[in-house]
Amino acid sequence: MQRRWFSAAAILAGALVAAACSQAPAGGGGANKGEIIIASDFPTSGAERSSGRGPEAGVAYAVSLNSNIKGFTITHKPYDDAVNGAHDPQKGAQNFTDMVGNSKILGVVGPFNSNVARATIPVANRASLVMISPANTNECLTQTFSYCDPQPSALRPTGKNNYFRIAAPDTVQGPAMADFAIDTLKITKLAVWSDNETFGKGVADNFAKEITKKNGTVVARSDFDWKSTNDFRPFLQKAKDAGAQGIYAGATSATKGCIPRAQMKGIFTTDIPYMGPDGIGDTQCIKDAGDNANTNMYFTNAAAEAAQDPANTALINDFKSKYTSKEDLGAYTFPGYDCAKILLDAISRAIDTAGGNMPTREQVVAAVQATKGLKLSTGTYSFDNNGDPTSATMAFYQYKGGDWSFVKQFSVGQ
Amino acid sequence: MEGARKRPLSIRGDGMGTIGEAVRRRRSALRSGLTGRFLDLGLIVVVAAFLILLATRVLEHGPSFFLQILTFAIANGGIYALIALGYTMVYGIIELINFAHGDVFAFGAFLSASLIPVFGLGEDKPFGVLPALALLGVFVVTMLVCGVLNVSIERIAYRPLRHAPRLAPLITAIGMSFFLEGALFLWKGPSNVHYPNVLPSAGFNLFGAEIGTKEIIVIVTALVLVVALALFVERSRLGKAMRATAQDRDASLLMGIDIDQTIAATFFIGALLAGAGGTMYGLYYNTSVFDLGFSAGLVAFTAAVFGGIGNIYGAAIGGLLIGMIQSFWDGYFESAWTQVVIFAVLILVLVFRPTGILGMRVPEK
Repeated sequence: MQRRWFSAAAILAGALVAAACSQAPAGGGGANKGEIIIASDFPTSGAERSSGRGPEAGVAYAVSLNSNIKGFTITHKPYDDAVNGAHDPQKGAQNFTDMVGNSKILGVVGPFNSNVARATIPVANRASLVMISPANTNECLTQTFSYCDPQPSALRPTGKNNYFRIAAPDTVQGPAMADFAIDTLKITKLAVWSDNETFGKGVADNFAKEITKKNGTVVARSDFDWKSTNDFRPFLQKAKDAGAQGIYAGATSATKGCIPRAQMKGIFTTDIPYMGPDGIGDTQCIKDAGDNANTNMYFTNAAAEAAQDPANTALINDFKSKYTSKEDLGAYTFPGYDCAKILLDAISRAIDTAGGNMPTREQVVAAVQATKGLKLSTGTYSFDNNGDPTSATMAFYQYKGGDWSFVKQFSVGQ
Repeated sequence: MEGARKRPLSIRGDGMGTIGEAVRRRRSALRSGLTGRFLDLGLIVVVAAFLILLATRVLEHGPSFFLQILTFAIANGGIYALIALGYTMVYGIIELINFAHGDVFAFGAFLSASLIPVFGLGEDKPFGVLPALALLGVFVVTMLVCGVLNVSIERIAYRPLRHAPRLAPLITAIGMSFFLEGALFLWKGPSNVHYPNVLPSAGFNLFGAEIGTKEIIVIVTALVLVVALALFVERSRLGKAMRATAQDRDASLLMGIDIDQTIAATFFIGALLAGAGGTMYGLYYNTSVFDLGFSAGLVAFTAAVFGGIGNIYGAAIGGLLIGMIQSFWDGYFESAWTQVVIFAVLILVLVFRPTGILGMRVPEK
């Protein structure tokens, strides 16, 4: 028995040595001043991999193109905040605690989901760790409204801002789709439902507000406990009875965002539009909609589509040649890439501030805040004092021939 | 006592027990005579208040909407009833809350989703006699495999613990539930699994409500299965053995009943219903997910307690009622409150009628 334990321990030790040896220091010839790590935090396992892997690949790509800045080796450390296939705020907070403890990490790209951001901003804030999100859209993360709970100031215990994003907030995303419904689709009676989460309910409320403002009517409104709800038919029936001409889903694919679309069959005719935020803009939604997936499905994306700018063609082709999996190139891949570029640009300036030495995290935060008119693949970025982009882009997508296709995009000022 | 005898379908024996039990019951019956009537009155007031509230909303929305929601509600309830029966049967016979039962149901949904293409069915194919037979094949295979699975679970995780303290099999049941959930996770991943829409969505118009083929199939199947089960438990030899085992295991053993076989049969039959429920769930909602067994199982277990655990008709009625409360609340009120309402109703019912709607007094051991 004892001998067996001994040999097991020996094997384990051998494995550890092998693992340690395989982590050979990467690149960066000449005067190597040390390593700076850019972390990323996205849901990259399970159901949400189709959302989270894109920006993660974008960050990895940006870092691989800039592996050495002023004598420092730059590496990427990805974190996954999904548990059992769904984004998990607690897991996110745990990841950020780990990042805070690693002094080489000077910035984070992420998270993807607004409720994860709500849980992680305070953790990063206490350590002055800068975070830039390509996809968070909840307005209460940055802006003070009477209905926000918690208020942005409560998320920042040090009183100083460390959180930035390049996505347009829900105060823009929800109303943008409402305008689209009324002006482009020419429908005025809408039914709205949400998954009752920070993001879903927020965007649904903003959608509903704009509909009312534009003299439309919200004929049915429900918030579901998405985990225990399987049957959306009673709600759909209620909507139909009230004369709904379209349905808006304040949800994501992981929170059953497109299951009502399949259940609409037999209640609504197939030409009734089904709209949602960026959370339903993935392949899971199309699968869930089943045989009721058709051209009357739309979603908004709170970031520009990089492919719309011909200047990005070479960049996108180079990316595609290096990252070949289907999930790598999603709606948020290049926003993720741009966040990493903003961070890399800021780190480069922060190194100068630090006199060519390893900058402090505070210096990196200040450098990100000072970003001015940085032209990147999805737009030109500067930040206001809240951490919001001074101009963001809203893009519309429609389901066509088996996948989502781009309809139009426009710039929205704050 | 008499009330109990009127319910021959209870799996748990009730009519005959030891003299001590009879005395205890008599006493509690006397005690509950007066207060019981007040409690029943309280329940009636609460239910009446709710019904009046509902009635005002119903009048507001008109009769065709009501009929429509009612169809959805019965279909929804029918599926819950099928799952609830499995919980109630197992509890009736060995007093075990078989937590893995919900996951057997989810397994049924997953398996039938995979079987549908095997049987030549698909989303865009027209429905007719041949596809209907194929679908029947899907049902039968799913039910049998679920049955075998549940019997294996019983053999591996519960039978060795039959004489262990009651908490031990309860924990292995939770373990089995997680094990199955993990297996389903590995099988089809964590995302929602789309279930092919095989049934025709056509329907007919009844007083302005659109009664879909789907709802009819779900309701009729559930009804047939519940009646078949009731007849089986009441009429067949094995059914009699099951009732006897539930009533007094030692006496049944002395009478020559093969206890192990009877218990295994109970698990098998419970899982047949879960398998059918899983298939119907998929066909009706067109989706399933690996942890479906947890959420649906919790509601179904609640339904079993609601109706009176151990009581077969009770489980069917409990499932139906919970499904109806859910659909009606979703249709007429704010959905965010649906779960709250279901469990508030459960608490109320249990406060006023601790043994559930149909009542099932389980002798203390």
